[in-house]
Amino acid sequence: MPLALDPAIIGQEFDRTVEGPVTAEELIAFARALGETHPEYTEPGPGLVAHPTFCVRFRGGRFYPEILLKLIDVRSGFDAGKDIQLGEPIRPGDTIEVCSTVHEVYEKTGRTGSMIFVVIRYTLTNQRRETVAVVDNRFMHR
Amino acid sequence: MAVRRRFEDVQEGDELPVRSLFLSKDQVRAYARAGGQWSPRFTDDEGARREGLPGMITPGNMSMGLLASFLEAWAGPATLRRLGTTFRGLVLPDRTIRLCAAVTQKESASRSIELDVWLEGDEGERWVLGTATLALA
Repeated sequence: MPLALDPAIIGQEFDRTVEGPVTAEELIAFARALGETHPEYTEPGPGLVAHPTFCVRFRGGRFYPEILLKLIDVRSGFDAGKDIQLGEPIRPGDTIEVCSTVHEVYEKTGRTGSMIFVVIRYTLTNQRRETVAVVDNRFMHR
Repeated sequence: MAVRRRFEDVQEGDELPVRSLFLSKDQVRAYARAGGQWSPRFTDDEGARREGLPGMITPGNMSMGLLASFLEAWAGPATLRRLGTTFRGLVLPDRTIRLCAAVTQKESASRSIELDVWLEGDEGERWVLGTATLALA
């Protein structure tokens, strides 16, 4: 475990925030900004659902747990990638509960030196307790 | 109603038709606004340079969104089940990018396919790499 972190941090929930309700206008603006033309994502009405990557907008109330903030300068970081697993679609009026856990912390050494990777897992649940997405956000720090 | 691509019509090794598009700064700003990422690094050249960047950059989330839309333009809406990406390089706007994918595996039981996906520049440099799962009809 890099950074002399207690391995017990892995899997621990450090934030739970409810966001929304999501509006139709937000969903449509997001999809159109990507050049989407599918009416399921761009036309108001009962069939409107979120573009599949709308889920990456939800980041909870705290970026990292306190213990990581003491060891890492968040401003030194770059978004290194994401994995999203999609569940039920997000619809207008949904409220989304974001549960944040530290999924993984690892170190890599490249040509430019050592890098720390922090993977935060966001589990997104709607008001019907259905999982809408699991998003693993991988951040890299030099 | 859009048509979903049929599982039987796809073979391992198939390459999707490449989509080329000119990514303008205004498009990136529109995404930054709609995606809740209104920050100088994504909206303003000078602000981005103050952060040590060569100019404003495209959010990784937008690259991911463009890849998702590209895949669903081919397979049909609401077919994407999973998308994993690695952001390997800075995607600078005001240039042409190419969205690409190839089928790597078919899974009969779930009628789903696995793909390699990537976003590349004009000279073939791959700035975003990933894999995806699509559920077909």
